[in-house]
Amino acid sequence: MGERHSPAETVALIAGALALLVYALAFASPYGLRILTVAGVYALATFGFQIVFGLGGALSLAQGAFFGVGAYVTGILGSRFGLGFEVTFPLSMLVPLLLALPVGLAVLRLESHYFALATLGIAQVLHLLAVNLPELTGGSNGLAGVPAAVLFGWAVPRGLPMAGLVWGLVALGGLIGWRLAGGRLGRSLTMLRDDPLAAATLGLDVGRLRLIAFGISALFAGAAGALAVHTQRVVSPEVLEFPVMVSILTIAIVGGRGQMAGAVLGAVLLLHLPEWFRFLERGYLVVYGVALLATVVLAPDGLTGLLDRIAARLFSRRPRASVEAKEPPRPQNSPDGLAVDDLRKSFGGVRAVDGVSLELRPGSITGLIGPNGSGKSTVINLLSGLERPDAGRVRLGGRDVTGTRADRLARAGLARSFQAAVLPNGAGVLEAVAAARLAVDPDARTAEAHARWALDRLGAGDLAGKGCDGLPAALRRRVELARSLVRRPAVLLLDEPAAGLTDGEKAELAALLRELAQEGVAILLVEHDMGFLLPLAGRVLCLDRGRVIYDGPAGGVRRDPAVAAAYLGRAVPA
Amino acid sequence: MRRTLSLLIGLLAASSCLSSAARADDTLSFPVLVPLTGFLSLEGTSQRNGAVLALKQTPAGIAIASEVVDTGTSPEAAVTALERAAGRGTVGAVAASMLGTQMLAMLPLAGELKLPLVTVSGTASITEQGNPWVFRFFPGDAVTKAAHARYVVEELGKRQPAVIYQTTAYGQSGKAHLDAAFKALGVTPVFEEGVDPAAKDLLPVLTKALAAKPDVLVLHLHSAPTALLLRQAASSGVTLPIVAGSAMHQPSTAALLEPAELKGVCAETAASPISGGTPEVKAFTDAYRAAFGKEPDAFALGQYDGMTMVLEAVKAGARSPDAIRKALSAETFQGLAMTYKSDGKGNMAHSAVIVCYDGASRVPVLAKRYDDPTLAAK
Amino acid sequence: MAALQLLVNGVALGAAYALVALGFVLVLNATSAVNFAQGDLVMAGGLLAVAAAPLIPLPGIVLLPVVLVLMAALGLLLALAAYLPLRRRPPVSVFISTIAVGIILQNGAAILFGPEPRAAPPLFGDDTLHIAGLAVPEQSLAIVAVAGLLIGAQQWVFARTQLGRRLRATAQDPEMARACGVPVTAMILVTFAIGAACAGAAGLLLANRYFVTPTSGGDLILKAYIAVTVGGWGSVPGAVVGALLIALFEVGVSSVLSYPAALGALYLTLLAILVLRPQGLFGEAVRRRG
Repeated sequence: MGERHSPAETVALIAGALALLVYALAFASPYGLRILTVAGVYALATFGFQIVFGLGGALSLAQGAFFGVGAYVTGILGSRFGLGFEVTFPLSMLVPLLLALPVGLAVLRLESHYFALATLGIAQVLHLLAVNLPELTGGSNGLAGVPAAVLFGWAVPRGLPMAGLVWGLVALGGLIGWRLAGGRLGRSLTMLRDDPLAAATLGLDVGRLRLIAFGISALFAGAAGALAVHTQRVVSPEVLEFPVMVSILTIAIVGGRGQMAGAVLGAVLLLHLPEWFRFLERGYLVVYGVALLATVVLAPDGLTGLLDRIAARLFSRRPRASVEAKEPPRPQNSPDGLAVDDLRKSFGGVRAVDGVSLELRPGSITGLIGPNGSGKSTVINLLSGLERPDAGRVRLGGRDVTGTRADRLARAGLARSFQAAVLPNGAGVLEAVAAARLAVDPDARTAEAHARWALDRLGAGDLAGKGCDGLPAALRRRVELARSLVRRPAVLLLDEPAAGLTDGEKAELAALLRELAQEGVAILLVEHDMGFLLPLAGRVLCLDRGRVIYDGPAGGVRRDPAVAAAYLGRAVPA
Repeated sequence: MRRTLSLLIGLLAASSCLSSAARADDTLSFPVLVPLTGFLSLEGTSQRNGAVLALKQTPAGIAIASEVVDTGTSPEAAVTALERAAGRGTVGAVAASMLGTQMLAMLPLAGELKLPLVTVSGTASITEQGNPWVFRFFPGDAVTKAAHARYVVEELGKRQPAVIYQTTAYGQSGKAHLDAAFKALGVTPVFEEGVDPAAKDLLPVLTKALAAKPDVLVLHLHSAPTALLLRQAASSGVTLPIVAGSAMHQPSTAALLEPAELKGVCAETAASPISGGTPEVKAFTDAYRAAFGKEPDAFALGQYDGMTMVLEAVKAGARSPDAIRKALSAETFQGLAMTYKSDGKGNMAHSAVIVCYDGASRVPVLAKRYDDPTLAAK
Repeated sequence: MAALQLLVNGVALGAAYALVALGFVLVLNATSAVNFAQGDLVMAGGLLAVAAAPLIPLPGIVLLPVVLVLMAALGLLLALAAYLPLRRRPPVSVFISTIAVGIILQNGAAILFGPEPRAAPPLFGDDTLHIAGLAVPEQSLAIVAVAGLLIGAQQWVFARTQLGRRLRATAQDPEMARACGVPVTAMILVTFAIGAACAGAAGLLLANRYFVTPTSGGDLILKAYIAVTVGGWGSVPGAVVGALLIALFEVGVSSVLSYPAALGALYLTLLAILVLRPQGLFGEAVRRRG
């Protein structure tokens, strides 16, 4: 991910930048400089796409359209009203942003391809408008006579100065993008991309984050569009056509998904690639296609992935500097805990949860048992906001939170674990745990310090430097628990935390849960393992077909005939 | 890591050295920068072939080089191609894209580089930029659309045209000039609508046009849409006369239709080389067929005439782009399609013709020739 | 009468779009991968028919099997070059690799066939039937019939045959299917072959009525993508409905509004559908894999 830069890679980045500079100053012809300039323009547009798609995972097909809108703003204001760069450039960024925000609000909650289609639809409407509003846009012919970029009275000439201006902005934009990617926003977006549900339960507001990413992508695209128009000096509907979008997407993937350096590498490579085969006249695009295919197949993680692999082979990767642990502040726990009254939920006529009431008091451990399919997981999903109840009331910390979204519940002090631990692929353990603090901590560093504290408390501090992939199941559970723990929740919902643990590990877990309860956390424990659960829990509820069939002290469960019947074969008359 | 980087720099530098490798001798180069891919590749290929055929007639004692570069359909690619061409040896003149937007993008750069652009683009505005480096060897929309409208009104005696045009640069520019030409003749179209080139079924627009009770259908569409509309008109039993835009005259358009579907259809164009004419035109058509295995159209002929005029200037002693520009703007040239003479803005061609199909053959016959129809219309 | 005539044309166009979308959905269901080369495969099928026509001077119905076989072979090549090496990668990698294949197909076709628009031979005849005042080109009937047959055949294969069950198992969970002894790689290859053959059929049918140029694929893939998504990602009936919806706007709405306005209305309708039914008209058919 973007934030793991070893010294060798930093050296490589600086070397790459220097190489481009040397090339531009000493070797490049006006033609070479023009291609380099255009590559810079595309790199800038791709930075934004890396944020919304590469990190956020939202396949926005409007990136090309925002590019085009930026281009038209500069084109119209520049050619019709003779406004200078210092006015048109900010407006070229602002107008796409103002367009992105309402559009984003309307389509943000759509998933993957539906989001892609919606953004594609918006792009197509903009293209239609550009073609069919000739009074404003010049129609298909577009507008000629766009002035060169005029910076405070100085018209930037083509060639080196223009290349310098574009690449200066690329450097600036890349730096901003890189900071964003490695910081709280970038990590939150990655979390969102890898698992939107888990992200919500960790308190991340999916809609808000996506809207921010969408807006940032529009800013970058608008800036790139403005520069494109200053480079080519005309604006026509071609800037709004789908091939621009395809180029940006291709650059992002070929360069390296989510990587700002990848955007630069991808743009430089893909803009130069067809030029190298120009001598083939008509065949150059066939060769380009073959080269593109070969690149994707040979470097499926993008050029940055390829460079990483080479770097890993040449230099042994130094272990990352260890992070100093810091205890996260404990929020003021309200004395009320979580109270549920007559909760109901049906799926297609089947009553999954049918009138469940329970109360989780601070400092108590409540067990929830029941045969498979009795509705335990649905209860947890309802309590954590992943499902909306059909009826019933939920109160958290004394406030009515019935039907509240998962991320709001999480921020109000609720934490949950999943039955199958969901940890992001390719991420480090420390990162994965720190992700749980992104919604509350001011920056990523603080979040990591807090994560380290949680890992240490679970006796898993030595995992901090490891990756999540290939971690054995028991350790994955521990990391998952750390993600709950690190948030200092008032209410903790655990879905089968003991599954697959050895007896020793179970004992450790039990001790930890007791400790947490003593600190005042209200815990709900969904478990099959009675030997683990019953000594821990003060009170146990048993569910069968969505109904509570037992609610009382843990000790009474084993002797209850209804519970036994439910487990042994549903002999209880309905 | 560093090795990869140095490889990257090496490649970049090598590509730049390749591109700037100046020829040592006094070879004049005539790059052909035309759209060979994308939606205008049909017309661009005609342009390319016309230019390549013309450049085969190397004047004795002069070394000539030429390279064909695809400009695609984006202004960006056209400008890049021009910058590339300028860096390779002494350029005499450039055979430049017929896509109006690309011309508009190349013009300021051509002015800075001082390179004459020889094109067959019909887009009116390219010669209205006050740029002395553009030369259009094809009648502009002002000329062809005046001929188009005059044929409809004066020859066919129709006063209620329905105009169907394409929502592309070609279509919108042509439609604007059709409007002006009809207005000059005191005629107002009863129906006007733009159609996207991606539209597959043209029956809706045809139905609407017919509902407006026109007495003639006036088309300004690209090649395939023209053929599609004619076919749908034929199968719907439309008997109105149809006067189409220049795309109709392209042999590849007629090849899509049965001769019977073409009966009574006319089209505006600068020339129709396959319809015969002077022995020189026949010789051109034969040479074109032999070289490319295709039928030539007016775009090929116009570009051929343009590059031939350039070579005539070289023969007469012009050895620099500026000398060629001077010759193009001052001389009169008897080309195969017509006589070319600049009007001071770079418009070289001032004649248009109307060709019609008889329903038995895919080769149209010349119905009417308009020399400078805009002047006559005023 | 005009409205009926438009309906006939609209259904024919919608059926053609449905055929394009069909091959796209098939591959999507088997691999979760977006085959962006589908439009260019349709173009290739059309040009193959054009190229084969002078060699086999018979009606299109005889050409059809030839085109199907050749296109199936092309589909296998596509799978080997652009899908199998990337099958363990995020689906977006396949998106890019098929874009690359599309570029190769499009420009290869331009070199081989030139830029001229071409017309493939009709499936049966070129005549126009006049039924109760309606002009119905035989080719329109052929398009609707072939589209109906292929879509029906696909549904039947998937619902009733051993091959279909294996294909579905592969689509639902390749790991599980492999564990159950389904030859997953072979199934994926078969899917690509069938998908490309569908594209070939669509190409042959479209290239007669609507002509074909090397660049005509780009527009078709957009329409297929829209049809498949609005119908419900991966749902075959959804894709057919989506294709008919697009045709309804292109032929029906554009007979009232102007063509650009009809396109605008289409996209606004799509947005409205997505806001109201965020999973498409027919709901999600493909379980997304990570």
